[in-house]
Amino acid sequence: MAAGIASVPVLIAKLWLVWPRFVAFPPVKGVSHLVERVGLFPLVAGGVFMTFSGVANIAQWYPWRFSFTASHFWMAWVTMGAIVAHVGAKWAFARRSLARPSRRPALAEADPVLGTVAEPEANNGLSRRGFLGTVAAASGMLTVTTVGQTFPPLRSLAVLAPRDPGVGPQGYPVNRGAANAGVLDLSRSPAYRLVVEGRVATPLALELDQLLALPTSVARLPISCVEGWSYSASWRGVAVRDLLAVAGAEPDRTVLLESLEPQGRTERRPSTPARPPTATPCWPPTSTASPSTSSTGSRAGSSPPTAPAFCRPSGWPR
Amino acid sequence: MSLPTRTGDDQPASGPEDRHQFETAAKGGAGFWLSAAAGWAIIAVGLRGILQNSIDTRPGNLARFVVGGALLHDLVVAPLVIVAAVVVGRAVPGRARAVVQGALVVSAVVALFSYPLVRAYGLAANNPTSLPHDYATNLLVVLGVVWATAAALVVVRLRRSPR
Repeated sequence: MAAGIASVPVLIAKLWLVWPRFVAFPPVKGVSHLVERVGLFPLVAGGVFMTFSGVANIAQWYPWRFSFTASHFWMAWVTMGAIVAHVGAKWAFARRSLARPSRRPALAEADPVLGTVAEPEANNGLSRRGFLGTVAAASGMLTVTTVGQTFPPLRSLAVLAPRDPGVGPQGYPVNRGAANAGVLDLSRSPAYRLVVEGRVATPLALELDQLLALPTSVARLPISCVEGWSYSASWRGVAVRDLLAVAGAEPDRTVLLESLEPQGRTERRPSTPARPPTATPCWPPTSTASPSTSSTGSRAGSSPPTAPAFCRPSGWPR
Repeated sequence: MSLPTRTGDDQPASGPEDRHQFETAAKGGAGFWLSAAAGWAIIAVGLRGILQNSIDTRPGNLARFVVGGALLHDLVVAPLVIVAAVVVGRAVPGRARAVVQGALVVSAVVALFSYPLVRAYGLAANNPTSLPHDYATNLLVVLGVVWATAAALVVVRLRRSPR
């Protein structure tokens, strides 16, 4: 997301500033210093991993075999723990260094390894202030050239964004179109049925024509993807709520939505009783696209409305 | 990116007592050990999560990327940046040096971020959503803006302090 992208230069700058410590001698001075230095490994490795994997994820680049979301989540715990230990180890140092100038030790005095690096001679290149300004400029440059993928007023500046909120199969971005999801043949098959079953008075098994003959409604829904792009759009279709009413289901029960897509994590989606789905099988009101060319849900687990052909809410409610 | 100049000997010396006091304040106190215990407990939660969800996290493959990333930075990227800093420090005249260093930093960060986009690693077929821009051209445009700004800053600095 935007904050993650902006943090890339900050992490790089931080690693650059402390790198001389990596080769400092002696490597270990006592037990507490050993504990602190061992903790630097999860700190540095975790920070590098979180930013690298995050940047790769928003570019939809997966050069690894693990699940991005699960690994990013658990590595965040490791990294946060390392930050807690590090802040504790540096607390007194930071407090002294941020004290009033009269009570503050010279940086070179407080930290012989880093102090001399951070206080270059005049005219020897970037000053400390200039260095901070450069980091801010790099963060700003990355933000300006990417934030338009979720902030429409800056859309024209988002030349390095992996998504454009106005570009996609139906004029909107989607991570996997119907062709990529492999559902075109399934949705066009005469055997297609939209099934509503479970604890309902009248289980349904609708053919596509029967489904399209049902009354439709329009809903304006936001789509916010974990990869940092988002947009809102109006979608028209048969509301799940209406389908459930036709089937004679009790209100406020949990719904399990099953995608037509043969495999994938977005197949089943329990809906909390507090927020029953309103309008799932739908397509943009202005679109002339037939359901079979519409799109399936995003792989990130946010829920772009799916075309009727791809939505098979089965087992409602269990 | 400033040169790592070792000028510690030139700094005004203060008594060894002061330094000793400072270091004991920073190290080994109750706060240090409390936060270390809390931090490592949180790290343990993360490690346990990784191992318990090994079907998703693939610990062996994950470890390669986590360890590899740190090693790549500490042993390859950082030394390369230091070499670049030394070269810039020697090759670029003093009054333009800071601006050139800043422009190099911004350029490197933007290029690093754009690399997977320029190489189109994540390009999905049959989906116009996927990587809609010409990222190689756009990266060049952004770098052009960065260096045009840098050139303007250098001109301003030279005019302000003609030597």
